[in-house]
Amino acid sequence: MSDDISARLAAYLAPKLGAASVEVSDLARIAGGASRETYRFRARYTQDGNILDRALILRRDPVASLIDTDRTTEFRAYQAFHKLGLPVPEPIALELGTGALDRPFFIMEEIEHCSVASILTPDPYGAHREKIGRQFFTTLGQIAKADPDSIGLSNFDGAREASWLHEVQRWEREIDEDEREPQPIARAAIRWLKRNPPPRAQKLSVVHGDYRTGNFLYDADGTIRAILDWEMAHLGDPLEDLGWALDPLWSHGDPSHPAGLVSRERAIAIWEQASGLKADPKALHWWEIFASLKGAAIWISAAREYSDMRNADPVNCFSGWFCLAFHNKVLVEKLSVEAAP
Amino acid sequence: MKPDVDQILGLSAQQLMTQIAPQLPAGYSQSTAGLLGIMLGFCAQEFDRAAEIRVAENRDLRELFSELAPLISDAPLKAKLKAAALSADPSLKISDLNTANCDLRRLLIALQSCVEDIAGDAARAAERRIWGILLASAERRLLKLPGT
Repeated sequence: MSDDISARLAAYLAPKLGAASVEVSDLARIAGGASRETYRFRARYTQDGNILDRALILRRDPVASLIDTDRTTEFRAYQAFHKLGLPVPEPIALELGTGALDRPFFIMEEIEHCSVASILTPDPYGAHREKIGRQFFTTLGQIAKADPDSIGLSNFDGAREASWLHEVQRWEREIDEDEREPQPIARAAIRWLKRNPPPRAQKLSVVHGDYRTGNFLYDADGTIRAILDWEMAHLGDPLEDLGWALDPLWSHGDPSHPAGLVSRERAIAIWEQASGLKADPKALHWWEIFASLKGAAIWISAAREYSDMRNADPVNCFSGWFCLAFHNKVLVEKLSVEAAP
Repeated sequence: MKPDVDQILGLSAQQLMTQIAPQLPAGYSQSTAGLLGIMLGFCAQEFDRAAEIRVAENRDLRELFSELAPLISDAPLKAKLKAAALSADPSLKISDLNTANCDLRRLLIALQSCVEDIAGDAARAAERRIWGILLASAERRLLKLPGT
């Protein structure tokens, strides 16, 4: 099977890389979320008389996906932010047809010799917490600061006005479609979010959509080398990404240090400085509740994918069980305070 | 005496995570095997508590419906709450408990939504009572990760 994919990949890549032929080797599937099958491989070819040996990543649509994401969106986000100089892998090719590898896919460079933190690891960053934390929240601020029009992403999905409602409705639809059992906590959260709209967004930004620990690569010196998984990127309120990054699920067991990095206060201050925006506490509170609701919606979809055996990757089972239970608890804690006298 | 089911699952999880997964090639196979080990660990936790969680939650919800039904003026909802308060779990099979739990949770959503629209202190107290039930439910269903 992998030999077959290697040969087909080689044939596909040759014209894309401007090479007479490409030799594909070392193709191996790696963990990379449940929304795409992710493989690493090496491509060896001659270009302008030079022999090149590149480490590349293949992201192919699975038979069924955890959430319905658009690989074109992900590819274009990589293009735009790579060009802007953010730590993002260079995108190489996007294929929407099914002829080359049976399903749509895209190819990008592999950032080698890096680590990615598992959310199950108590303290993945160790002595590099501060350094990585500074970069993590600075880069998020830079994404918030970028002008969607000038980086060519102005037609991304999202609402220019009242993006909060657009997002709540999006995830409510996911729950409507995918819940296998009634979800009183998620439903109460949706009602609360609709009854208590956040203040108007300060600006329209590209929202990464899944900016968190586990979705970036860092090297042994504690330098972030790549922000990954842009498949849920869209236009919206920049506080959406900050609320998601601060969510306790990504805190490696210490919610006072979001993403297992710097303190919450410092994280927000770094983001404000890099973005030039303010994290209004009332607005951020709303977006943090939204983040946990969005998480719950994703995990409900994961449980459905697994239960219907459309995608039996155990990450779907883990998400639909552990993560949903976790976010239900977070939502109850936050919303029950709202109901207190 | 045969080993207990939760022990079988727990030991299998441990062996998968600490002995088998490390022998696999790094990458998707290894991480998947590790995750399967965690799933078995969750199954071990759930085996012992699954019935208790559902019985307790169903009991709590029936008591809640009995207590809050007088507050509700919507006649069809009030009737459903009264009927549900008098219902009982048909058996201790997890599938039966789940079916009853789904019916009760569906009614809880309708009740909470209705209470939120009622003015007054009694309704606010009812809301807090509902959140208390939801908190207990969320806490019961949390899972422990290995090593925590």
